[in-house]
Amino acid sequence: MTVHPHQFEVHPSSGVPIYVQIIDQVQAMVAGGILKQGDMLPSVRQMATELGVNPMTISKAYSRLEAANVVERVRGKGMQVTKLPVGGSHEERLDELAPLMGQAIVRGRQLGLSDEQILSLVRQLLKEYSS
Amino acid sequence: MNSAIIETHALKKQFDRKSVLSGIDLSIEAGQVVGLLGTNGSGKTTFIKCLLGLLHPTSGTSAVFGETSWDLSASAKSRLGYVSQEFAMLPWMSVRSMTDYTGAFYENWDKSYVDLLIKEWNLDEKSRVGTLSVGQRQKLAVILALGHHPELLILDEPVASLDPIARRQFLKSLIEFTEEEENTILFSTHITSDLERVASHVVFLEEGTVGFNEELDELKDRVKRVRISGVQNLREKLNIPGTIRAEYHETHALLTVKEFQAPQWDSLAAEINAVITVEDLNLEEIFLELSEVSSASPQQVIA
Repeated sequence: MTVHPHQFEVHPSSGVPIYVQIIDQVQAMVAGGILKQGDMLPSVRQMATELGVNPMTISKAYSRLEAANVVERVRGKGMQVTKLPVGGSHEERLDELAPLMGQAIVRGRQLGLSDEQILSLVRQLLKEYSS
Repeated sequence: MNSAIIETHALKKQFDRKSVLSGIDLSIEAGQVVGLLGTNGSGKTTFIKCLLGLLHPTSGTSAVFGETSWDLSASAKSRLGYVSQEFAMLPWMSVRSMTDYTGAFYENWDKSYVDLLIKEWNLDEKSRVGTLSVGQRQKLAVILALGHHPELLILDEPVASLDPIARRQFLKSLIEFTEEEENTILFSTHITSDLERVASHVVFLEEGTVGFNEELDELKDRVKRVRISGVQNLREKLNIPGTIRAEYHETHALLTVKEFQAPQWDSLAAEINAVITVEDLNLEEIFLELSEVSSASPQQVIA
């Protein structure tokens, strides 16, 4: 199976560099099981023309993914997903989440919510997202 | 072997006594797609014209393909395509004769490619050039610049008059152009979202000098807006080097910094017991932040 460039969503005018957006989405697709071991990424050319971005940007994203062992270059075929996601250690994963939670807490305080109210919202949302 | 396609050293240009370019050092290498940004009157068009040998520099040097701009050989000229802001065309010619006429000047004119572009860009080849709208003429000018498969494209605000659909087609053609890895583009534009799609590098001209010249991704990585909400009043605590702009409101601060480094802010957050959130900026916001700084600077050039 392969993914199609249409499954990627690129926002050129977001502050996040386009290559980072693509890396994040490939990693999310791997983590989410949309991309499995052995699947191919679209070619650089396909991605560049379909998404309307510079081919070098796509190459850069692919090279970084290769360096991170998410994909490997297969001669004559392109980029292939290497292995199942490595989620990082428990601590690393928490570190990644912390800034996002931090932002939510700041906003909560701005809205004048108490810690208990924020916590109960988190609990409620956890339930809603459990399905 | 020097792979610089465009190279200028201390390039200066004055008109009468008014200095437009006051010393430009720039090197653009093969394969780069460079967006030239700058406020109106910052010297973008003058710079491009000096590169092409259409204007003689007052001092300094400018070279394209290793040849002095003012004395470009015919073979160097055949390797470049240029779209100016004021595209001179022959109004009585049809689109078809205009492309044939232009093609006659080039050895490697690709007629089938030009025909394809005319079709893709919805131009009627039987229309007279004089009856075309500004946007249609601009499309034709870009097609004429691409017809001989140049290695270097120099575009001076190529999309200013194009509608969004035509701009997309234009970008698509540029992306196809960059599939040839050694092909190089220099284009000036005010539409930063287009630039964000195709540019690998950004050059920012301010008051006739290069304000910055770097990879677009690096620029986005280093210029950030930082929001701080602390417990105590912040003002006296924060003296952060590289701050472009700062607003303080008692326990809150909003800063724009030009050399963002995450660890520095993490330790600051711990030190002053504040929550710090970092916002990514897009190119337009970065452009505004940086040009506000330069326009607020005390040394105004008096014309």
